[in-house]
Amino acid sequence: MSNEPAVGSEFSAAPYLLDDAAAQAYERGVKEPPRRWRTNIHTDRDAASKAGFTAPIAAGEHTIALAMQLIVDRFGERFMHGGGFEVALIKPVLFGDTLTVHARVARADERNLELDLRVENQKGEPVLTGTARVPKQ
Amino acid sequence: MPPGEAEKDNRIEMRAENLHQGMRLGPVFYVVGAEQVGAFAEALRSSNPLYRGESAIAPPTMRLLDYALLIAHHFKGGKGGVHARHRCEFFEPMRAGQAVRIDGTVTSTERKRGKFYFTLEYETRDAADQRLLVRQAITSVLLSPEGSLT
Repeated sequence: MSNEPAVGSEFSAAPYLLDDAAAQAYERGVKEPPRRWRTNIHTDRDAASKAGFTAPIAAGEHTIALAMQLIVDRFGERFMHGGGFEVALIKPVLFGDTLTVHARVARADERNLELDLRVENQKGEPVLTGTARVPKQ
Repeated sequence: MPPGEAEKDNRIEMRAENLHQGMRLGPVFYVVGAEQVGAFAEALRSSNPLYRGESAIAPPTMRLLDYALLIAHHFKGGKGGVHARHRCEFFEPMRAGQAVRIDGTVTSTERKRGKFYFTLEYETRDAADQRLLVRQAITSVLLSPEGSLT
């Protein structure tokens, strides 16, 4: 009997406060090898304002990382052997937002599970939507 | 390079006119750092044992930012961009201590509603035997030289 979650199953991650400390921790996690550093929309109020944002915004990669961590925590290493995802970042995440990742098994075939993904802020507004594919055991 | 001589910067300016479909970026090489794996897992507040110990693997999204290495390798200046979409296929996890190679190609450029979008597809391979580890594509809105979205 399969241990795979049934189509329609839903699961969520614990809420994650994406504040300045979280952003700094994320930067420590990606600082090597060094990238070009410059003032940008993630660090500077003026740069964010010129780009049309009310305040500096969190890196989209940080939100994506949270979403995929839920998948790894649920399915383990097999996600990295033939799995994948496709996501759209649909709303800026401001520092201080609390993000919650939700996943739902939308489809299944002989080889893969397909999940619908959604990351919401504390207002329940989606900031990321997309899908992930997980190879079956 | 003789001591004291400044290295010549042959990179081109990061602006819409200089980004073309078919442009190849890379290769860039680096070694996946064990400390980085730990720091990244900590940033996600993850206690997943996959990221610990001698056989630690890298969290799957730890190297999403490799596109930035490719861009910085070829371009200078610019105001950055806004991440719009991301696609990723995993073939094998990266492991702490593994030497990897990244190559990328600009697969589309498009001006839409005044914004300049570009898509960069990039692959990470084991540097020693060229095994494909991850294939990704980022679509980003390039900020103008003044820093605006249009």
